[in-house]
Amino acid sequence: MHIRTITQALAIGGLLLGATALTTPAFAQDVKTITGGFDVGPGGFPKNFNPLAATGGFTWLNTYFEPLVIYNAELSAIEGDLATDYTVSDDMLTYTFNLAEETWHDGEAFTSADVKFTLDLIRNAASGSVFTGRLGKIANVEAPDDRTVVVTLSEADGGLLSVLAQVMILPEHALASIAPESIATSTWWSTTPIGTGPFKFTKYVTDQYVELAADEDYRRGAPKVDRLINRYFENPAAAVAALRAGEIQFTYVEPEDAATFAGNEAFTVIEGDSYVVNYIGFNQKVDLWKDVRVRQAFMYAIDRAAIVESLYGGAAKLANCGYVAPHLVPEGLNDYAYDPEKAKALLDEAGWADINGDKPITWLTYYGSPQAANVMAAVQAMLAQVGVNVVPRVVDVPTYNGTVYQENNPDWNEFPLIYAGLQNGPNPAGINVGLNKSQLPPAGANIMRIEFDDLSAAFDAAIGETDASQVDARWQDVCKVMNEDLPWATMWVANRYGVASANLVDFVWTPAPAGGPFAAHPELWDIK
Amino acid sequence: MLTYIARRIGIGLLMLIALSVLVFVLLRLAPGDAIDAYINPAAPLSMDELAALRARLGLDQPLPVQYFGWLRAAISGDFGFSTQRAGVSVLPLVLERIGPTVLLMGTGMLLAIVLGIAAGIISAVRRNSVTDVALSVTSSIGISSPAFLTALLGLYFFSVQLRWAPSGGMLTPGAPFSVADLLSHLILPAFLLSIGHAALIMRYMRSSLLEVLNQDYVRTARAKGVREFWVIIKHATRNALLPVVTLIGSTIGIAVGGAIFLESVFNWPGMGLLLVNAVNTRDYPVIMCATLIVGACVIAVNLLTDITYAAVDPRIQVA
Repeated sequence: MHIRTITQALAIGGLLLGATALTTPAFAQDVKTITGGFDVGPGGFPKNFNPLAATGGFTWLNTYFEPLVIYNAELSAIEGDLATDYTVSDDMLTYTFNLAEETWHDGEAFTSADVKFTLDLIRNAASGSVFTGRLGKIANVEAPDDRTVVVTLSEADGGLLSVLAQVMILPEHALASIAPESIATSTWWSTTPIGTGPFKFTKYVTDQYVELAADEDYRRGAPKVDRLINRYFENPAAAVAALRAGEIQFTYVEPEDAATFAGNEAFTVIEGDSYVVNYIGFNQKVDLWKDVRVRQAFMYAIDRAAIVESLYGGAAKLANCGYVAPHLVPEGLNDYAYDPEKAKALLDEAGWADINGDKPITWLTYYGSPQAANVMAAVQAMLAQVGVNVVPRVVDVPTYNGTVYQENNPDWNEFPLIYAGLQNGPNPAGINVGLNKSQLPPAGANIMRIEFDDLSAAFDAAIGETDASQVDARWQDVCKVMNEDLPWATMWVANRYGVASANLVDFVWTPAPAGGPFAAHPELWDIK
Repeated sequence: MLTYIARRIGIGLLMLIALSVLVFVLLRLAPGDAIDAYINPAAPLSMDELAALRARLGLDQPLPVQYFGWLRAAISGDFGFSTQRAGVSVLPLVLERIGPTVLLMGTGMLLAIVLGIAAGIISAVRRNSVTDVALSVTSSIGISSPAFLTALLGLYFFSVQLRWAPSGGMLTPGAPFSVADLLSHLILPAFLLSIGHAALIMRYMRSSLLEVLNQDYVRTARAKGVREFWVIIKHATRNALLPVVTLIGSTIGIAVGGAIFLESVFNWPGMGLLLVNAVNTRDYPVIMCATLIVGACVIAVNLLTDITYAAVDPRIQVA
């Protein structure tokens, strides 16, 4: 009797607590809000508010900051953003940008002085910008009038516009008073930043979310929703749970999660090219890989088609050079179709038994997903069949970078072989940094210390090509040399996924590397 | 006595400095630093650019210079700024995380105590009944389920499938603060945190109560005509609680570990989430500050305990 009373009391208490928990805040109906995990996944850069120091997260940054130029949503062409249009001189040394009429979120007019201020700030190494090196060919920036900016280069740079697409223009009137060396650690970025984008920064709740409000004066028209919220998640699985629970309307998802949304009418699965080529990198400071026949043997030994089919569900394109875009890949490449016998023969010819034999070779990677583990296990088994004994070593990103970026007396045997990815688009020049001998550390990020003269010459020709009609041909040359020399064993370019609620209207997202930016037009996003 | 207190405080400060040296050295021994964590391997930077970024954070300085620079600033209350959050000061960042962790842990433990004791009493009183067997099986499952499993399963069922509670965070983004909103976010992680502890408490409570129920004084109470409810609650339970209280004290440390994991799964903005994130991103200033605060708390509690002992027990030498 009394036990029953205690049980009843506990049950009533539980119900009351549960009822409290189920209370939905009333605000949800008041304002139109889109909440997303915009910084989830490899394109995100959560908790970063300084676009000068951003190596990702541009999808979100672009909702309140804007660059001069931007990729279209298909990532196939660069178009104007804060610049309504631009012209490039025949020698590709002078870029003239005509600016849009716009105001900053605090009402001040946006002018060419802001563009000059931003580019000069980046060129000042004290600003701590990650773009300083990439804009190193800019010799001068002039602002002849309020609506015109002229950028002069010291030498042609085919990748300039691609870099500028990630350079968010900043307000001179708000930042000029901060010393360049203090700007990276200023609290301005996470408290009172102002941009020219369709949404205005209103609130950051530390490590939880960022809230933006519509800028009613935006030049392309007032946004259709009142608020945009970017929620932070420690891992993609938690974001998927929030999406399924209806708490957010969009997030990046891992491929295996994307498959679980297929056919669900409440969601839209967005699939796209990752623009990251996965490769097995041969450390050229290690004697194991000097003979091209050994590198060729890797390609023949790995059944890439089977891996793509079984482990990627077909959602990856085989890469026979550093990229897969059809207009950059020439006819007649060696497709290195699976042929383990040929791999064995090549290894025998190269004298693999004397070079290494069956001694274990560390295979370093920062890819920690279950899918990557399966891929590496499959490759390990395939290589073992031809007599190459690789041992995967999975570490976190800081450990990986700390290993391959060692400055003083690196121990090459810590990373004789890597499994990694490198951004190969939309501008193919992205892979130059990892393959050109001019990019050997410390000048660049050629971490595998590849010094192939013909390959470097091909890269230099492609990047310095001033005839627009010849650019694709130059990149095809690079592809051909890569295919023959095999500085890497190129594997594939996998697809990436985002999932959006079916309630979203005119929502644009693409799995652009580093989050783009791309012309997503957040001002047009709506929610039913 | 004052000399004793002063000496203990001095020792405490020396221990804090030793702790800071230890943490500082251990962090530097770990591969990779804040800049290595910053680089996207798919969009790498040059070593020159990385060197510039390191110089901006002072990571290019010799380790003793870095340490004493940090120590000098820390003594004046400046623990620097978080390397992954531009310009955000570390001390307020760490201090504001203590409350949420205490709230989650406290609520979880409270739920565990209430549920565990109630279930233990019911199980003991209904010994060998269906209820007892059901509760015993449930507690066995609760004890043997690892925190990561209960957290993820709980998230899936209660949040995704049943939608009884939000899937993460402490407050609804963009909503004005309300206690109901806070509770709605708290209830699921707190409940999941409580499961293992409640199961353990229930088993202790059951066995302890069964032992007490056979004691003579309980029999005497029944013989005197005391109602069964009061016999259990007033006479038996109060005595049976003693080992359970000891157990609760010793499991609070385990609850901290569970809370850290749950904070990561539920994005609960507490110390656990902060530290896990700081370690993943090699955010040295945050790790140093958080570790020192925890260390200072432990040293302070020990100091207070020793002083209290010294004050109440004259046999303890204080000179």
